[in-house]
Amino acid sequence: MPEDRSYKAEKVIERLGKKLNRQVVGSLAACVHCGMCTDSCHYVLANPGDPTFAPAWKADRLRKLFKRHYDWTGRVFPWWVGAKSVYTDKDLEELKDIVFGKCTNCRRCSINCPMGVDFATFNRMARGLLVSVGVMPEGVAVVSKDQWEIGNQMGVLREDYLDTIEWMEETIQDELDNPKAVIPIDKPNTDVVYTINPREVKYDPRTISDAAKIFHMAGENWTMPSEGWDMTNFGLFSGDDDLGGSVASRVYDKMHELKGKKIVISECGHGYRSTRCEGQNWAGMDVDFEMESSVITMRDYIKEGRIQVDKSKNTDKYTYHDSCNFARSCGLFEEPRELLNLVTDDFSEMYPNRSENYCCTGGGGAMSMSEYAPDRLKSAKIKADQLKATGANVVVTSCHNCVDGLADLIKHYKLDMKVTQLVNLVANALVIPEEAEVAVKEPDEVETLKGLFAGKKIMVVDDEPDLRVFYGSVLEDNGAEVIEAADGDEAIGLAMAELPDLITLDLSMPGKDGGKVFEALRKNDATASIPVCIITGRPELRSLIYDRPVPAPEGYLDKPVSEETLIRNVRKIFEVGRAMEKQPV
Amino acid sequence: MPTFEHGEFKVEVDEDGFITDPEIWNEELATALATTEGVDEMTEEHWKLVNYLRNYYMQFGIAPMVRKLCKETGFPLKKVYEMFPSGPAKGACKVAGLPKPTGCV
Repeated sequence: MPEDRSYKAEKVIERLGKKLNRQVVGSLAACVHCGMCTDSCHYVLANPGDPTFAPAWKADRLRKLFKRHYDWTGRVFPWWVGAKSVYTDKDLEELKDIVFGKCTNCRRCSINCPMGVDFATFNRMARGLLVSVGVMPEGVAVVSKDQWEIGNQMGVLREDYLDTIEWMEETIQDELDNPKAVIPIDKPNTDVVYTINPREVKYDPRTISDAAKIFHMAGENWTMPSEGWDMTNFGLFSGDDDLGGSVASRVYDKMHELKGKKIVISECGHGYRSTRCEGQNWAGMDVDFEMESSVITMRDYIKEGRIQVDKSKNTDKYTYHDSCNFARSCGLFEEPRELLNLVTDDFSEMYPNRSENYCCTGGGGAMSMSEYAPDRLKSAKIKADQLKATGANVVVTSCHNCVDGLADLIKHYKLDMKVTQLVNLVANALVIPEEAEVAVKEPDEVETLKGLFAGKKIMVVDDEPDLRVFYGSVLEDNGAEVIEAADGDEAIGLAMAELPDLITLDLSMPGKDGGKVFEALRKNDATASIPVCIITGRPELRSLIYDRPVPAPEGYLDKPVSEETLIRNVRKIFEVGRAMEKQPV
Repeated sequence: MPTFEHGEFKVEVDEDGFITDPEIWNEELATALATTEGVDEMTEEHWKLVNYLRNYYMQFGIAPMVRKLCKETGFPLKKVYEMFPSGPAKGACKVAGLPKPTGCV
């Protein structure tokens, strides 16, 4: 007997079949209704009398559908296995209120399930089924539309974005009293491309100026992209993989165009997960650059001595909230704590913490779904009690969504607490040296670096006369004395006679190639300790150098080499060399 | 729909406390809404900011970038946060009778 079903319901069932994979089917089949998930969900804990919040109950709404249509037991004995279909648009609306309104996809139940049922994964899938037929909370629809059509989730136009970045640039120039503190836009070949959450640019750009200040003080070679700067991704929340792929590829495409080395992702939990962990699958795209949370970037700046901080400038009592996406889903537990301890004196944990932490209650896009706000805030009682017990007056988190979720519940439960992020604390603790002339690696700053290589004799070895002139003039502009050699034999002879402080060496040259020259130099006592920077147009020859039975070269650059790259690497070689000399033997 | 009640006021708001009909907005209502956002007294500066937000919204149908807000009113960003502790998105927009901003806020 044909079933009477609405068009949308028909489509949802059809699509469910296409979305089933091993993980989802495993999760749908494995539940034994043991109730472990019940105790792990903040919705259940705050609403003990209401079984409809229990993850297993919520999961059953979808499981019934699966059994009815895609599992033989449900097709044969639907009454026995509780199989049930959806028929009307009203059924879909009810399902919507469950998957969007009663779960933040925080995955706390997933990690506490002894059967390995990842409820959040198929809750997300169920969201995606509904979104595919246009059934979703209005807030999700509005944000998704902006991300599809304008390219960022708050509909920020290009000129407004650029205007705000320029404003933040002026702000840090004033604060640092240094017109050279800049926020470069679309600079190619940088080490860091910084991507953000649109709320930073639309409503609260203080995190942008703080980050810019940190990059500047670290002397970072960085940029912000003019497009593809939104690393958030509503595809994660709405379950729409197509949207997820479109948003992620916008970020990746821009990165490829700029030829940057590393995307640094500002403190946003779902943005980090989407861009770093999920986006490549959604977009069906491989990427060849690194991706890193700004938390790790900032921690490394301090540990490597690239910035100095004074923790006594942060005077509050702090606790740390682990974001579900940042911590539970992506494993960043210790890095933020390490950083927090580097910039504050008074940090205490909240309990439970790390992978067992409770959701901020605003996760999974809940902050954009006003219709569920009363349930959200009621269920936030668990989080409020947890925060209160820490005795801290500031809660730090590495997620913008958590900032808003926590701020909202702090207001609702009248807690005497503030929310902040690590970038704010690091920027606040920054030690700005008097007369700080931070050697920012900007091309227009080459002037200020004059004399950088003063007193150094550098030998440039390359068979291309144009390249010898180019490298030579860059090095001479920075105070070095340059000698040139056009082939291998000349290079060895000149090195012995002149004993330069550094040699840049081409690999493929007629006659004695760079590899042989390199080995000869290393094997000769007089020249063995001269630092060598290989510059080659044939990176595949790398093994010819590293396989040789002599110490590896101090630097290795692939052609074409820009002025900045050359200066930076030569500087690095000299500086590392100095540091080694200072080390006690 | 929930209601916001304060003194003589009883108006319809969304679940986050933003008024649903921008037409019913007036200065008395704004003063009442301000008390829910940690603003006890609406000074002349508060009005300048709120009126700017409101006029922008009536003209363009969206909330302005905070950049525009600061540029047009002349208030530094820090000052905006001092006036409206919950920030321009939630605090100031609510008082000005705008709908809740969309997205991660």
